[in-house]
Parts: sequence; structure tokens; C-alpha cells
Amino acid sequence: MNSAKSFFAPHARGLSPLAGLGWLADVVGAALFAGCLSLYIAALAGAEGVIGPFWLLGGLVLGGLLRAAAQGVAAVAGQGNANRVKARLRAAVYARLLPTAQRRGALAGEDLRVAVDNIEACEGYFARFLPLRRASALAPLLVALLVAPASWVSTAIMLATLVPFIAGMVLAGYAARDEADRQFEALSRLSGLFVDRVRHLPIILAYGVQDRIARQLGTAAGEVADRTMRVLRVAFLSSAVLEFFAALSVALVAVYCGFSLLGLLPFEAPEQLTLARAFFALAMAPEFYLALRRLAAAYHDKQQGEAAAASLSAACERGAAALLDPAPAPAAIARLGLQRFEVAYPGGWRIGPLDAVWQEPGLHAITGETGSGKSSLLGALVGAAPAAGGAVLIDDVPASPGALAAAAGWAGQAPLLLPGTLLSNLLLGNTQAGGEQITQMLALLGLDTLAERRGEDLPIDPRGSGLSGGERRRIGIARAALSGRPLLLLDEPTADLDDALRDKVIAALEYFARDRLVIVATHDAQLVARAQSELRL
Amino acid sequence: MSVEQLLAAGTRRQRRALWVAILLAVLAALAAVLLLGISGWFLTGAALAGLGGTAAVQAFNYLIPSAAIRGLAIVRTAGRYGERLFSHRAALHAIAHLRPALFLRLAGQDAARALLQSPGEIATQLGADLDALEDRVVRRVAWPSALAAALAGLAAATLAGLASALALWATLAAMRLASRRLAGGALPGLRRQEAAALGALRAAYADYAAAGTDIAIYGLTDRVCAELQAHADRLDAARLAIVRREALVAGVLTVLAALGGALVLAFSIGPAPLAALAVLAASAALEAWAGLSRSDLQRPRIAAALERLAHFAEGNPADIEPVDNGPARLAISDKGTQTVLHRGERLRIGGPSGAGKTRLLETILGLRSDAPQTVETAGLSFAYVPQGNSLIAGTIADNLRMARPGVAEADMWRALDAACVGDVVRGLPAGLEYWLSSDLAALSGGQRRRVALARALLAGRDMLVLDEPTEGLDPATEARLTASLEAWLDQTGSGLLLVSHRHLPRRLAGQVLELG
Repeated sequence: MNSAKSFFAPHARGLSPLAGLGWLADVVGAALFAGCLSLYIAALAGAEGVIGPFWLLGGLVLGGLLRAAAQGVAAVAGQGNANRVKARLRAAVYARLLPTAQRRGALAGEDLRVAVDNIEACEGYFARFLPLRRASALAPLLVALLVAPASWVSTAIMLATLVPFIAGMVLAGYAARDEADRQFEALSRLSGLFVDRVRHLPIILAYGVQDRIARQLGTAAGEVADRTMRVLRVAFLSSAVLEFFAALSVALVAVYCGFSLLGLLPFEAPEQLTLARAFFALAMAPEFYLALRRLAAAYHDKQQGEAAAASLSAACERGAAALLDPAPAPAAIARLGLQRFEVAYPGGWRIGPLDAVWQEPGLHAITGETGSGKSSLLGALVGAAPAAGGAVLIDDVPASPGALAAAAGWAGQAPLLLPGTLLSNLLLGNTQAGGEQITQMLALLGLDTLAERRGEDLPIDPRGSGLSGGERRRIGIARAALSGRPLLLLDEPTADLDDALRDKVIAALEYFARDRLVIVATHDAQLVARAQSELRL
Repeated sequence: MSVEQLLAAGTRRQRRALWVAILLAVLAALAAVLLLGISGWFLTGAALAGLGGTAAVQAFNYLIPSAAIRGLAIVRTAGRYGERLFSHRAALHAIAHLRPALFLRLAGQDAARALLQSPGEIATQLGADLDALEDRVVRRVAWPSALAAALAGLAAATLAGLASALALWATLAAMRLASRRLAGGALPGLRRQEAAALGALRAAYADYAAAGTDIAIYGLTDRVCAELQAHADRLDAARLAIVRREALVAGVLTVLAALGGALVLAFSIGPAPLAALAVLAASAALEAWAGLSRSDLQRPRIAAALERLAHFAEGNPADIEPVDNGPARLAISDKGTQTVLHRGERLRIGGPSGAGKTRLLETILGLRSDAPQTVETAGLSFAYVPQGNSLIAGTIADNLRMARPGVAEADMWRALDAACVGDVVRGLPAGLEYWLSSDLAALSGGQRRRVALARALLAGRDMLVLDEPTEGLDPATEARLTASLEAWLDQTGSGLLLVSHRHLPRRLAGQVLELG
């Protein structure tokens, strides 16, 4: 699949070549082993030895060490490359998916699968498949090259088996793909059945049909097994072709060398063979197809990587399309308006069309039943929900969500908490805010007791462990207010609070609204009572 | 029967295929060892005969070895092909046998309760666990074939002298020890670290994605990505450590195999052709033997899979049969007040989000038992339409038949029309036979929910249990559906348990139970 290649290309630059080179160095180790072995056998058979037998035995072990090191380097460097690519993919994918999740109306599980599982699925492609594919193009030639000085005819034999091998692989490969394509739909339907039925076990239990479903599963599983076997029968054929030519090249080299040494070749001997040369050619013959056999074993990694690339590239496109266009924040907002404004989710759920005008400064409320879309409307103003029509107006001029996002301080139902301190979390929207401002803000929102009790350096983790829901909310409000932006959008600012704290927060919101435009989504009647306007959904 | 016993039972049924696979694997392993050994012997013998002159050449029997070499090459290829085919057949059918049995085991209360929390992830994990077990059955042939190769190698080494055979035996033993020791020690711990890091990355991603608006508005993408990358780095580090460990195992085995070859040669006291036979046969045997380390490396994964499957499959069986004592009724006691519902009566359960409305519904249905309210049911049957997607992968007709086996097509259409989704289904390319996969959005969420509603209507139970039935619908459809439901309830006299935030459907139930 070329699309996988082009999707991966920008992320796969500057990878260590050691992964591929390791597999080539493996051939050198094999040659050292074969060379020492053939000289030792030749010496046993009475040939004049130039190298002592102990050196040769040492060479054998050294060959093994070289192979072990080369294979180890290849595996570790491959994983290192995969880790590097995964890190780059994460940076690219996260940057597109995280800030746009709400705007795309994405299902949380769907995004998580792309951002975590699909990226992990690329690992084998870079750790094993790619280095092996590079090595498999060169390793057989390197083997041929190393054997040539000992016996060029053996080299020729090995190379000659490549031609029918490639033809066989093409035929078997096509047949396997055709068969897999024919079975693909039925197989993918049936093979996911177990996971699907387990996932829906509660509803199956609710209808009390588990026995019938289990029987169906049994039938389907048998059918999957039969159909899978049909695909495997053909798929294994291509590895059989590989095996056959690997065995054939060994057998042909052995028979040629044997007859040549006996002087029984039916034609004039094209080269003068010695036992050492012949034995070296024989010992190297299995190495000729080894890289290709390793590549065949990594085929699954290739398939997984390509499937993941398709899904990642689609997700990146969707994410990139939903990113806010950066726009400068308007210097001031005197009036914010909605004109036939609509929000529509992929499932078909809609809000609007709505019309409204909110005057600055002032406190304004959006109200409605739970589920009526208060939060979604608030989010849609800053591009955090899928807007479907109409416009948002700043001072009667249509404004982009990007411009509004730059002008807005935002506090959602579950504000973002980053690992760090209470202080660093308060300042996420504005790192310049001064100490006095912060102290005042903490007091306004009743967070001063928290800060006094546990310090401004109170460590915070993303789950907000040790913080109550109300504290998290007020940290979000404080952050929005400290951001110094002219527009405050607050979602249920008084939820999860007791009466005293609620009054305090309402007073703080009124204080903010003296010089800013504050819009709250709420079902709190006391807060609505203090608002200058109410938009009911 | 434990999961392990279930698997054993499934495997027993595939005895024949497994035996054939083992036989072929043994043949292939023997052929591989002999192919190399005989080639080496033939070559060295041929060289000696060639040096010995014409008489020696004529005395040298070259026909049998050269024919054997060609024959062994074919046996090795055919053997490997057959071995793969039969071992996969045995594994696929053994696991196919296990699936329905395991599914019935999973239909226990513990599993159902866990699945209500995160159905997708647990189901996917269990699917992967079954794949791991399949791999274990496939690898059943590994030991017999490695043993055959080792024995053939030992026999060949004996021809070069007893000392060579002993050296080979010692190497084989050392390789097993090294593989088990190196794979068994650190690997399970590393795998656990990997799983923990992956879980932490998922959890962190889910947390941050929920606050995506904050990230977009305050321009915190880079900072959040850096925080996530820190989690990912731990995962990548664990992966690298695992690969290092696996490479160490493979490397040590490679060095030991080379050492074994050298020792066989060093101790050889036979003539050169037999030494060549011994060393090449030994090398082939050692290579096959090293393949056993894959089983060692897989062992922690299979153990974890078995443990998980056992945990879910051996819980308490779900008690979903309503107890039949006295007249049909449903009683819910919440904070001292009791609400009693009889056949044909309707109740709406209200309360803010998070008050436990769905939990109460699922407790009434017997799917869980952790609601703070006390629930008694007697003689009532329920048809449930949950909030999320509850359609199983299959055709629309398959889904409807879940509620009533053998239901006539006309009844299906009547139910679909009553659920205001008949026209949508008529517009699908295959109508009732349209295949709904669980992942692809063939129908919108609202349409799927209405098909699930049609299924509940078809079930003909005493009481309809609806959780937010009109969520996600536009006002016109919502009004149509509410009217249609009302007509259906009046006509059939069914009871109703309803959870809904929305205005319109509320009029379906006069009686209200407020939670929270």
C-alpha cells in the first residue's frame, strides 16, 4: 500500500541504519563460521592447513558471537527506530486530535483507539518489517558475493534459483491475496463475533438468550475456522515456495560440489574445486534465503502497520480540518450576538437556530433542561462543538471561532489540570499574572482556605486527586478570570458547591461582570436571578 | 471445569490433526538435520574419493546420497507446509470449540458487571487472550519437532565419537537452562511494566481529551503533548527493555549453538566425512532447538491470558430469572419510601445526572446488584433498551430475532414502524438483512436506538424498560416516536419503566420516582 508509505514518510526520516545493517552483519558472521568450519574439515581430510585448529575453533565461536551481536543490534536498533517514529506520530496525532475532540463531536473511545492503539500497531512495521525488507534485498547478494571467490558456479546456482523463486512467489502471492480478498468480508464479520457478543453480554442476559447466542457462536466459530483454513492453505503455499527454493539451493550446491569433487560432472569442470571451497559454498547456501524467510515472518507486521497508517491518516485529516484557524483576539467586545446559530452533532442531534445579543459588561445566563445543549452552545461559541449554521457576531460583525477562542477565558465542567502546583495550574491561561492578583482571586472564589491549608505549591495531578469537584471547578474559574481576557465563558460555575460557597462564587461572577462580558451556562436559579439576560434552550 | 480444562477438551477433539501435525513437524525436523548432515558427509567423502583416484571414485556410492539430498529437500518443504496446515487447523478448531463454552461461562454476574463498566476494552482484551491460547495450541508441535531434531543431531554426533555426542548434549542442556533462566527472570516483570505504562497512557489521554476545549482555548497543546509523551516514554522504554531481553536470550542461544558446533568438531575422533556429518547435523539440530525459546518468551503472555479468562469465566452465575412468588409486582424502596408497580403500570425514574438512574434500571433487570435502593421483582418480565448502542453485530433481522426467535417478517416490520424506524430500514440496500457491524456507522446512533426499541417491542414482555429513548432525536421525530409509543403501550397494556430528561416522553408515565 503506497498510502502507508507516503503517510509514514515525514515521520520516518533520520532513522538509524543499524537495524538493516545488523541483518547484513549477520551474513558476515555466518561467513566467518562457514569459513572456519570448511578449513577445519579440510584439515581433517588431510589438506595442508595454514591456520591452526584451535584458531579455527575460536573462529567458529567468534562467528557465533558476531551473529549474536549483529542480530541483537538489529533488534534493538529496530525498536529504537520504532520508538522514535511512534514519538513523532504521537506528536502529530495528539496535536490534531486533542484540541479538536469536542469540535468533531468524536466518541472518546474512538479517539483513544486511534491515538494509542493504532500508533502502537505501527511498531512492528518499523522495528522489524522495514529493516528486514532493506536487508532482504542486499543479504542474498552479499551471500552470493562471499561465495563467489570459493565457487562462482555455486553462486550462479543460487542466483539461478532466484528466478523461478520470484515467479513462484508472485503466483502464490497473488493466489493468497485473491483468496484472502474473497474471504475478507465474511471473515472480518465472523471473526469479530466473539468480541461483539461479549461486549453486548449485558443486553443478551437481559433478554435471557445466552444459550442461543452461544450456539450461534459455536457455528460461526466453526465457519471462521474453515474459512481461515482456506486462506491459510494458500498463504502457507508462498512460505512453502520459499522453503522449497531454500532447500533446493542447498541440495543443488551439494550435488554440484560433490560431483565436481568426484570429477563426475557430465560436462567439463568450469572451476577447480577443493574440499574447503566446496564446503564453504555448502555451509553458506542456507544463508542465501534466510533474510527472505525472516521477511516473510514479518509479513503480519507489515499488514498491521499499513492498516494503522490508513486509520491514522484519516484521523489526522479529520483532526486537521477541525483545528481552529488562529485569529487575533479582538481588542474589545462591546456586544456578542448569535444570528440563526445552529449546532449539529454527527448523530443527528441539533441545537438552534438561535438568536441572542449579550452586552458587555454584564452577566448573562444560558439555561435549559439537562441535555438541552447549554454546554454545547457555550462550546460552539469558541469552536468546541460542531457549529452547523448561522454566525456569531462581535459588535455585529461575524467572527471566527478562532478569534473568539483567543478572546475567551474558559472554565468547563471538568477543567484541565496539568501535573504541577496549584499556582502553575491557576496560571495556565496567563503566566504574567502577579502575586497580588492571585491572592485576590483565591479570596474571591473561596480558594484561599485551600491555599492556606495546603500551600500554593500544593502538588496537583491530572486526575485532581485530593481536590473536590467544587475545588476543581473554582480553579477553572480562577484560571479563566486570571487570563485577563475580555470574555468569560463558564459552564455550571456554581455546581458541586454548598450554599455559602455558591453565594461567594455568584458574588465573584458579578464582580467580574463589572468590566467584562460573562456568559454562564447554568440551571442554578439564584445565579440566573442575578443575570442581566437569560437565553432558554 | 476451568478454562484450562475447557481448552484441553477442545484440543482433545483435534487429537487427530495435532498428531498429524506433530508427525509432519518431526519429519520436517529430521529432514532438515539429515539434509545438512548428509550433504556434509557426501561432500567430504567425494573430495577424499576424488583425491584417491579413479578406483576410489568408482567405489564411492554417490547415487544414494545425492538422491537422498534431493529427497530430503522435498520432505522438509512438504513437511513444514503440512505441519503448519494441520497445527493451525487443530488450533483454530480447538479455539472455535472453546468460544461458545467460554461465552456461557462469561454470562456470569461478575463478568456482566465488569462489562457494564467498560464493555469495549474488556471484550477486546478477551478476544486477544483467545488468540494467545490459539498460538499456544499451534506451538504444541514445537517440542516434539525440536526433540526429534536434537535426537537426530545426537545420533549423528555419536558417529564422530561419544565425546562429540556428550558435548552436543551438554550444549542442548545449557541452551534450555539459559533460555528458561533469562526469559523467566525479568521478562514477566517487564511485561507487567509495559501493561501498566500502556494503561497509564490510555488513562492520561482520556483525561486530557475530555478537557480538549481548555487545551484549544489556552493554547496548551504542546504542554499536554509533552505530558503525554512522558507517559509514552515509559511505555517505549519498557518495550525497548523487553526487546533487549529477548535479543539477549536469542544472542546467548546463538553463541551457545556456535560453541556447541565447535565442541562437536573438537572432540570428533572419526574420519573427516563423519566429522562433517556430525557438525552440520549438530548445527541444524541446535538451530531447531533454539526455536524453543519462543515458547519461553510467550509463557508470561499465555499465563496472563489464562488468568484473565479464568477471572471472568469463573465468577458467580447471573441470576436473571425473576423469582416467582405471589402476584406480579415490582417494588423499589428508596430512602424509606416504597414505590410499587403492578403489571401494566408506568413509572418514570427522574433525578440529576449521576444520581444512579441507569444503575437502578440495571439492578431491576438483575444485571447488577449495587444500587442503593432495594428492589424486589416477582412474576414480571422486562424488555430493555439501554442508552448506548445495544445492537449486536449481525443483520437487523438477527437483532430482532434476539427478542423473539422465529418471529414473522410482518411482525418485524410492525415493530420497526412502531419504533419510527421502518422507513429507514426499508431504504437500506438489503432491508431486514442489512448487516450492522459494531464499528461502522451504517445507521446513526438515534436510528440504532430505535431498532433496539423495535426489538424490545417485539419481545412482548410485561414491562418495557427505556433509558433515554429519545436522546439525540430532532423534535419532530421525538414527537412522532412518543405518540407511537403511547399508542403501542395503550394497545398492548405493557408496563413502562422510563428514564428521560426530555420533556415530550415524560408524559408517557404519570408516576414519578425522583432519585438523588
